[in-house]
Amino acid sequence: MIGNSVIKLEDVDVYQQKHLVLSNVNLHLDKEEFVFLIGQTGSGKSSLLKIIYGDLHITRGAGHVAGFDLTKLSDKDVPFLRRKLGIVFQDFQLLTDRSVEKNLEFVMKATGWKDQRLIDERIRDVLEKVGLRSKVKKMPHELSGGEQQRVVIARALLNDPEIILADEPTGNLDPGTSEEIVMLLRQISQYGTAVLMATHDYHIIRTFPSRIIKCENGIVHEDAKFV
Amino acid sequence: MEEFDESSSAKKTKTIYVSTVISIALVLLMTGLLGLILIHAKNLSNYVKENIVLNIIVNEGSKEVDIIALQKSLENDPNVLKSQYVSKELAARNLTNDLGEDFVDFLGYNPLLSSIDVYLNAEYANNANIQTFSNQLSKNPLVKEVIYQKSLVDMVNQNIRLIGIVILAFAVTLLVIAVALINNTISLAIYSQRFLIKSMQLVGATKGFIRKPFVTYGIIHGMLAGLIAIILLLAALYLAQQQIPELVILRNWFEFSMVFIAVIGIGVLISGLSTYFAVNKYLRQKIYDLYR
Repeated sequence: MIGNSVIKLEDVDVYQQKHLVLSNVNLHLDKEEFVFLIGQTGSGKSSLLKIIYGDLHITRGAGHVAGFDLTKLSDKDVPFLRRKLGIVFQDFQLLTDRSVEKNLEFVMKATGWKDQRLIDERIRDVLEKVGLRSKVKKMPHELSGGEQQRVVIARALLNDPEIILADEPTGNLDPGTSEEIVMLLRQISQYGTAVLMATHDYHIIRTFPSRIIKCENGIVHEDAKFV
Repeated sequence: MEEFDESSSAKKTKTIYVSTVISIALVLLMTGLLGLILIHAKNLSNYVKENIVLNIIVNEGSKEVDIIALQKSLENDPNVLKSQYVSKELAARNLTNDLGEDFVDFLGYNPLLSSIDVYLNAEYANNANIQTFSNQLSKNPLVKEVIYQKSLVDMVNQNIRLIGIVILAFAVTLLVIAVALINNTISLAIYSQRFLIKSMQLVGATKGFIRKPFVTYGIIHGMLAGLIAIILLLAALYLAQQQIPELVILRNWFEFSMVFIAVIGIGVLISGLSTYFAVNKYLRQKIYDLYR
């Protein structure tokens, strides 16, 4: 890792099922950065994220994410790479059969936390950060859409990730709630966690001017202008 | 509305597990029944074989002491299950009872000879062995002749071999079907959990951590199914013995318990392994493939 960068891709080709989706991708993301990832459906946004969280392998080029060399990433390393990432996806929801607390506890036990006192403490911390301290015992269906998304963000923060990958985190939310969620993500980035947020929401992009990475015609533009 | 959805989803998971356990139990019941039938057939064949009588007819005028000495030496033979000395007088009495007429009185003398009835061990009771056995005995000066029903021995042995092969082939087929069915049922149950498995992977859980609770449940379900199957098997045994009281002769609790242990073992093994492989399948799958 050179300097502050937490994601660094150089000349990477991204394949999805033998189809070249993106070629010659160069991308870097620093600590504390908040970046939008835009592009039409099918432009390769999701594939690019998959490269970053280790669901797709790099066949050409070089890549480093949170200290992991993606070219040397084995299946065994993937879980440990993901513990350095916080993933906030539309279809990666809370477990509906257990409370907020149990949802978070489950993730922590899955990622090697043993001490119940530390677990409880950490759960209080992350819920505090997303402003849901009082909802510890609630079931997911007792929360509003925005609150659920906050819990998902809290879950992403549990292991003190270096990067948060958010794929359409505001997809199902009303404009007001969407703004609150993006504000929360920006705040998180200011504390030192880089945030890469894929979105289609132009209102959000206008409201929160930030660096934009754009996937278009098989190419990634690192500093796209929003028009 | 949402609350209703929550409880119904939890219920759905439970229903899947209940139906998995029941399916496994039923397949195990079939396998266990076949095992019990196999044991009964084996015991029946042994019973028949051990009731094949060799009449060793002793020469006229032999001393009783010598005959009893011969019987002693026969009883020491490991292939002999049991023997019975039938004296001339006893033979006459038996025949008189059978005929319902005192033929000794009628004839004026007892024409019957003393004999020893020999019952052989089941494993030894086939024609070739019996032939050798009787040839050796015939050399004894005391022995006049050895009589047995050759055709009966042949028939028993041939039928038993045929039935044995048929049941065994059936058992193997059923076991294959059992494995396939249980594997299918479990694959479906795990399929319904594939997004949970993916979610666990996304947060950085290792494969072993994700697999463990699934496999543990798989083993518990296999055990549970085995227990249910055993209860049903015991019920089947009870009912069968109510209908055919003679089955008591073939009862061997040690062998039955072996079947029960095998039923639980097969249940645990198949359920555990199937779960392991089904979970692995989804662990290996890319997220992209889940939506296809």
